[in-house]
Amino acid sequence: MEVLKQFLEYLLTPSTEVFIIGALIIFLLPVIVHFYIVQTTPYTSLPSILLVGPPAAGKTSLLTLLERGDSAAATHTSQIPQSVELTVSDDHGATTFREAARIDAPGSHRKFLLVDTPGHGKLRNQHAMTHIASNTLRGIVYMVDAASLDDGLADAASFLYDVLLALQKRTGAGKTSKAPTAIHVLIAANKLDLFTALPASLVRSNLEAELGRIRQSRSKGLLDSGVGVDDIGSEEQDDWLGQYGSEKFSFGQMREFDIEVDVIGGSVLDGKVDKWWDWISDRI
Amino acid sequence: MLDTFEILTTSGVVLWSRTYAPVNPSVINNFISDVFIEEKGAVAGARNSQPAASNPLYKADQHTLKWTFVKELGVIFVAVYRSLLHLSWIDKLVDNLKTIFIDLYGDQLKKPNTTIVECRKFDEYFDQQYRELESSGSLNTARPAAIAFLSEENAIQDDTGDEPPLPPGLKHRGKAQNNSQERPSTAESTPNTSRPSTPSGNHLVVAKGGPMGKMSRRARKIKNNSAPVSSGDEAPARKTKKAPKKGRKWDADGFADEEDDSLQLDYSAVHNTLTSDSEIDVVARSTAGEGVDSSSWGTKTSKGQFVLKDLDDEVHSILESAEAKNASKTETKGGLVGSGLSTISSLFRNVVGGKTLTKEDLDKAMKGMEDHLLRKNVAREAAIRLCEGVEKELLGVKTGSFESIDARIAKAMEASLTKMLTPTSSLDLLREIDSVIKPPATSMRKPRPYVISIVGVNGVGKSTNLSKICYFLLQNKYKVLIAAGDTFRSGAVEQLKVHVRNLKELTEREGGRVEIFEKGYGGDAATVAKDAVREAANEGFDVVLIDTAGRRHNDQRLMSSLEKFAKFAQPDKILMVGEALVGTDSVAQARNFNSSFGPGRTLDGFIISKCDTVGDMVGTLVSIVHATNVPVLFVGVGQHYSDIRNFSVKWAVEKLLSNS
Repeated sequence: MEVLKQFLEYLLTPSTEVFIIGALIIFLLPVIVHFYIVQTTPYTSLPSILLVGPPAAGKTSLLTLLERGDSAAATHTSQIPQSVELTVSDDHGATTFREAARIDAPGSHRKFLLVDTPGHGKLRNQHAMTHIASNTLRGIVYMVDAASLDDGLADAASFLYDVLLALQKRTGAGKTSKAPTAIHVLIAANKLDLFTALPASLVRSNLEAELGRIRQSRSKGLLDSGVGVDDIGSEEQDDWLGQYGSEKFSFGQMREFDIEVDVIGGSVLDGKVDKWWDWISDRI
Repeated sequence: MLDTFEILTTSGVVLWSRTYAPVNPSVINNFISDVFIEEKGAVAGARNSQPAASNPLYKADQHTLKWTFVKELGVIFVAVYRSLLHLSWIDKLVDNLKTIFIDLYGDQLKKPNTTIVECRKFDEYFDQQYRELESSGSLNTARPAAIAFLSEENAIQDDTGDEPPLPPGLKHRGKAQNNSQERPSTAESTPNTSRPSTPSGNHLVVAKGGPMGKMSRRARKIKNNSAPVSSGDEAPARKTKKAPKKGRKWDADGFADEEDDSLQLDYSAVHNTLTSDSEIDVVARSTAGEGVDSSSWGTKTSKGQFVLKDLDDEVHSILESAEAKNASKTETKGGLVGSGLSTISSLFRNVVGGKTLTKEDLDKAMKGMEDHLLRKNVAREAAIRLCEGVEKELLGVKTGSFESIDARIAKAMEASLTKMLTPTSSLDLLREIDSVIKPPATSMRKPRPYVISIVGVNGVGKSTNLSKICYFLLQNKYKVLIAAGDTFRSGAVEQLKVHVRNLKELTEREGGRVEIFEKGYGGDAATVAKDAVREAANEGFDVVLIDTAGRRHNDQRLMSSLEKFAKFAQPDKILMVGEALVGTDSVAQARNFNSSFGPGRTLDGFIISKCDTVGDMVGTLVSIVHATNVPVLFVGVGQHYSDIRNFSVKWAVEKLLSNS
């Protein structure tokens, strides 16, 4: 008890040591806290490419193919997003993804994240929209199954509509006059190895036609709950995709919002994804 | 036998698989979306790290799936086999392989930003386990059933119980028999229960050699290691037994010789220890357990190549050390200084973030969240399920920088509410109607009117919402026929007639057409509906809207007529109107209506009426979706014909979590 009393007395008497130690604590503590926090937060500013699309289109397969370089792993329905760190070559040292996937690939590289999202109806909007809002996003790969597009057209198109609409709103939503970095969209028509698959040009025209129909019916549909009377007709509630009032929808109309849409065919199973890889390399 | 065994991550990548007979991948895909994503069924949901036996079976046409899930690593272990077979050792296989896999590759799984896990060597471990369990399983298939008898005598209908419950007379005998056979292993796991008073008897049974006797000791050891804690408890228990009474010897002088304790009077204990097979096993096992700790097996793994025996040993030691870890997990950290420091650092982390959430941290905050949901008129059942789900999700999660526990919980709750309320496939009513009344030329379907019927309890606003939908359809220039299926309540038909007259006036210049189809009172509603659909097809109507009589959901007599109704009218959409005002009863209402249309037919959607009268308290939405997994399509927000809205998940979640 006596020792404690003495110690307290010493602490509370103004002396050089007490001042120095006190000053050290006051100045160093914020620095230490700062470093502690910086250290614990992960380094996240790698550019990213988002993989979205309806379920069973081959998103996770493409991801594993690009990561492994030789062949895709077997996959099942995804429940959580998965990001994978990949490298593209700066100086054409590694021209294909197969070479880039090797650890000792020649040339200099840039890293980026490829983010796979679940395609299940309950999960996809939630995950896709949070990633679209992030500012490291460089491009979106929208996978569709070209072989079963007849049945899955409505589903594939309505999700694509949501994605494009979110991108379109993002262009207009910036607070500054400076436009946000352009995010382009690649529609990857997968499974062209199958007999029933439609070629890329047909996938494009089918999707355009379906997006036009969705645009029509949404404009006539009911309002969403939560939309007050004052909001009706205001800019924010405008859900029209592309050029306003146009008769037919085409992907060309998205250029107005700085969104280029390409449709390229390929096949994950056959490993014919080089064109997609080139597209991704151009974005990074 | 086993068809396939797969180890996959929650992100969908198959890490390792072994296929004996090809299984359609859709079996596992459906399993994932049903159990993990949509959480169908009462006990569904991803329970963390439970043994496979306590996870419900998942049956897909011809296959049965046994599974277990490790949440922190996001790995699912699935075994698929034919439903016809009863493989009692599957549970054990799944659990053991989980333990081994996590032990060997756990750190690889934790790496961020990669999906590659090097696990080619796992083949050998799998083969070893498969061979071992299969041989032990085929010898003694009755074992799991017997264990089930012993541990929970009341719950006879265990999932793994492949025997039908025995008739009472037999049951007793069967149980006794099992009991005696079981003794060598289960006696250890229950050290408190009386050790057989007659060791010789016990010995006899063992010697007689039931199926247990034939098994190799190793195989039995595996079976036994379900109770590692007891092996620790066992030793002191035996010591006390030996200690008790010293024989007093009298020496030649007549003094008691107290030094001599080498001689024991209690021979039975010694006898027991040395002869009874089980006891030897215990001793052997406890020494084996000590051997594990001295990391003798670690060197074996580092060599990288195994003869079969080494692999056996290694697998066993992995399993045992995992069990030991489980057992020691409950130990508390001692030390006043340590606890003080941890308190300070946890306070610090509370503010700065980066705190690993424990059950105690969560409990209080979850209680607050539950109360909050209850205040929003969510039924208790649904609120508890949501909170349990969130708690499970958050256990062991680190909070972000400058993120409090409450903020983290609110975030997780928002995510899980969004997941619950989001429909699996979005519905665009107009497009769907178009595809039915004007089918594409390639589809070979004949155009027919689109039929929507509306059900619900009394006074929730069935007719009002029907006329709202009708108004919406008329604005889109459809020809609508309204069928007056309420042939019971006085004035119901007249009410609809008034609506039709109003709608006609309102939409005259828009070009829609609406008529009413009625057969007066007292008729059979199902027949009226059927006639209305036929009439609509003849007259070229696009949509038929069928009104029905309100009925109490717990009145069997009234509800039974719905099955006939669904069969006769064949509606494309059956929508139920629910009130936002109703509280806990909404769960029962939704469930009863959902199950009343006979097998293979359920509700297609809900309309929640009177949402404008409850303000923020829109908990009914959550309650009914929780009860049925059927999405909400529309919400009624006012008295006018135009006051019907598409349901927006974002809006509902915002209202539910708002603090006003």
